[in-house]
Amino acid sequence: MRIKLRRPFSIASCSLFLVSALLIHCGSSWAAEVELKPGETIGPSNWQRVQGMVGENLLNRIKGGHTVQIKEPKVYKPIKEYVEATEKYSKNVKLGPNGELLSYVAGLPFPNLDRNDPQAGQKLAWNFFWRWLGDDYKTGGATKGGKIVRFVLEKDGSERRADLVSYFIFPRTRYMLDPKPVIPGYEHIDYMQLRIDSYPRDAASTTLEIRYDDPKRPDDLYIYLPSIRRIRRATTTQRCQTLAPSEYVLDDINSHNGKITDFNYKLLGEKKMLANMSQEHEPYHRKPGDYLPIDEKWEVLDTYVLEVTAKDPNYCYGKKILHINKMTYDNVWSYIYDRKGEYFKEFWGFFKPVKLPDGREVWSVGDVTIVNVQNGRSTVVTATRAYNRGYPASMFSLATLQRIQRGESIE
Amino acid sequence: MERSGRVSVYWVGALFLVLLVARAEAASILGGEWEKFFTERVRFGGYIENVTGLAVGPHNPHFNVSNRFQMNRFTIQPEFNIDIHDKAKLFISWKFVKEPRYNDEARARRITVSPKPVPPLENTFYDEKSFKPWEAVLTLSPLDVLSLRFGRQFISWGETDGLRILDVINPQDTRFSPPVAPNLFDLDDTRIPSWGMRVLYTMNPVNNSILDFFALPGFDDAKRRVDDIVGSNDTADGIVRYGRWSAHPETRLPASAGGIGRLYANPVGVVPVVIPSVTRRLPDAGDSWKIGARFTHNIGGLNLGLGYIWGFNPQGADMVFKVRSVSCPGAPCLAPTTALIDLVNDRTHLFAAHFNYTVGEIASIPFNTAVRGELAFYPDKPYNISIYPGPTGLKAGPHPKHPNGIVEKHTIRYSLGFDRTALIPFLQDDPLRAFRFSLQLFQSIILDHEDGIHPFSTAEKIGQVSTAFTFRVSTGYLGDTILPDLFLAYDPDGYWVANPAVTYAPPWSEKIKIGLIGAFYGGRNKFKSFGFFDEKDSVFLKMRYQF
Repeated sequence: MRIKLRRPFSIASCSLFLVSALLIHCGSSWAAEVELKPGETIGPSNWQRVQGMVGENLLNRIKGGHTVQIKEPKVYKPIKEYVEATEKYSKNVKLGPNGELLSYVAGLPFPNLDRNDPQAGQKLAWNFFWRWLGDDYKTGGATKGGKIVRFVLEKDGSERRADLVSYFIFPRTRYMLDPKPVIPGYEHIDYMQLRIDSYPRDAASTTLEIRYDDPKRPDDLYIYLPSIRRIRRATTTQRCQTLAPSEYVLDDINSHNGKITDFNYKLLGEKKMLANMSQEHEPYHRKPGDYLPIDEKWEVLDTYVLEVTAKDPNYCYGKKILHINKMTYDNVWSYIYDRKGEYFKEFWGFFKPVKLPDGREVWSVGDVTIVNVQNGRSTVVTATRAYNRGYPASMFSLATLQRIQRGESIE
Repeated sequence: MERSGRVSVYWVGALFLVLLVARAEAASILGGEWEKFFTERVRFGGYIENVTGLAVGPHNPHFNVSNRFQMNRFTIQPEFNIDIHDKAKLFISWKFVKEPRYNDEARARRITVSPKPVPPLENTFYDEKSFKPWEAVLTLSPLDVLSLRFGRQFISWGETDGLRILDVINPQDTRFSPPVAPNLFDLDDTRIPSWGMRVLYTMNPVNNSILDFFALPGFDDAKRRVDDIVGSNDTADGIVRYGRWSAHPETRLPASAGGIGRLYANPVGVVPVVIPSVTRRLPDAGDSWKIGARFTHNIGGLNLGLGYIWGFNPQGADMVFKVRSVSCPGAPCLAPTTALIDLVNDRTHLFAAHFNYTVGEIASIPFNTAVRGELAFYPDKPYNISIYPGPTGLKAGPHPKHPNGIVEKHTIRYSLGFDRTALIPFLQDDPLRAFRFSLQLFQSIILDHEDGIHPFSTAEKIGQVSTAFTFRVSTGYLGDTILPDLFLAYDPDGYWVANPAVTYAPPWSEKIKIGLIGAFYGGRNKFKSFGFFDEKDSVFLKMRYQF
């Protein structure tokens, strides 16, 4: 846990730091030895230097002429309240027989991840799920227009735009906003999401998702279907369908949005990846019709490599390989394979610093890109979050779906 | 008048085209605070649409005169969202429609169905040229759990597709759209907004315990008529009011040829003897007060609601004739010659219920289907009733037990819907582009049923149980640029509707959609159910630009 290196708050955190340092040391023997220096440029002549550090598709683009420049890594301070919750509650957290999380209250469930633990993958998945994401956030709230802007790119370079916002609230892991630590009555809900599509006009409506902590209880999902202009209750099978016309499926939201207990996890190791934790331009500069960032610089990042396979044999993906930032537990790269085991989609997420309402700097996803390598289509989403906006839990109810007008803002 | 209406629509069109093109420039010339306000708090959207219809039915007497073009409907709908305050939002839109009617069409209609000297429908019948807002909704949220909406608005408790059970709060405009063809104009397109207020109070958000109350005083004028599907002659003001999609011409024969009285005759028989004098006593679209309340709640994964609506029923097919008097040349009255008939839409009320639930497995077999249901109970719902056969060889005649032709029966209407998606890779270019399937069952049950109950427009009997099934499947190909959608409806009495559509959404613009849509009807005869429209088979080209 490298994050502990930068936070000498307490004896407990020092001990965590030591454990983390040990983990990093041990982990380094897993990771590929790569020495990329800030300022170095990678292109067709030296693509081998980033082999294994980017997705296969991006590597091919580098071989074909695209260049990337290396920069100093961006380091974020951990969130004090989150670290305190980790220290306070993590010692009691356990896994149940079916991989469910027991005695979890708040913070990182398993700060002392042991790679030799046969359940390390499951624990890492829970660490990913319960990574710090604020008490609530508005995806797209910190962009210039205050909304998510999504571009769908065809293989021939054609583009279509859509605008939306997405609100998340975590009612039982509140660190900063009152009521803390739980909104009364919401102890059984992990998160709620309200999505409002505003453009194009015919797609304008709302979608609601509620994730329950009961591993056996499926999500409540109400999806607006533009084709029939009706809000429909949806089943879990719809988690796999493409969020048309993008290349994302519902479970690709936030890299891996499936119910944790619906999947098997395997910690494959640790790896240094190219990432961008301080995106410079928003949206990143790109040529019309192409998803590649032209002038964003990349940094070397330590990640855990997590293999995700569904327990349901009929699930849409064969497996998904996540590369989870050891500092923030966010995913920076996904490699997605279809059910035949063939490379299907490649995802990367840029991050950037944003401010909390109290002025503290934290990290947020910036632009995320997914490329379907089988059909050549891609989707670029500008989605920088605004955290801790103080949304009322009542906003995430069916009443909101009843009242929102086309294109109306909710704030 | 007509000319000024046309001019105003064109001017509005031109104005919005200018706005579209010059939006950036317009913003820049505004000074400080205004520019900030418009940039941050005002959003503009809407659409422009053109629908062209072509009659393709082999038996249509209306559209075989000179050509088969029967419809060209041009619509502009600008919409503004204004964030007045964090707790106050205003949504306002206008709808401008120009729909020229073809002279040959009008002439054909006049020859076929209009008794001289009754003039045909005016050529601006389908137009919308008023600057009165189409929707104007002020939403106030004084509390997080309380939302107050005032203004002209849509309120829908129902989520069925194609046919309605609880989506009966706003009336539907059935003048311009072929019925049960949601791929062309769905219920959202044809719903008429109503002035009023709606209150949503979230009592317990975690359980979605929501109290929903509305009150619509009904300010809209009579043009928003609701009965055009089963249109009929109105001899009171001498104007024949039937829309393009009103029912079969035999149901609206001129009074001189039997008029509505023919409805009681054998539909293919001789001219009947009853010569009715009909006066419409229709409510306006939202005439008089309509009030309703509903409570919804979650029990585990089950979402359900109970409600009550009091007011006029806006569904045209629910209207009834009331026979005021019958004149006979002598006694006993075996062969009446004149009947004074009112076509009325009585005030009614209904109890409403709905639920939705997802079913993952049944007996370990994956079902993965969302089930939804809607139910409406109409106490003492009025129906027309006749005795079969009628006197002097008529198919039906006045019922001796019900001299005003009306009987009231408790009625239950309900629907069950089953929605699911499926990935069918061998039918797709992209294996994760889902097929969406929806099956709906609609039933209407008349309690304490009596033989002889029939709709006001025909002498076809209504059984105790009326049933309809709908099935819909849709998907997207080539990155959702080709969007096929098939809607089917079937009445086990032997009637059907097919409403296929394929839409092209070009990959280079999210604003444009071009659709080719068909609406085909058929069945056992043309006097009942979807058979009403069996001469109305049509195809449409729909072009839509969103901004």
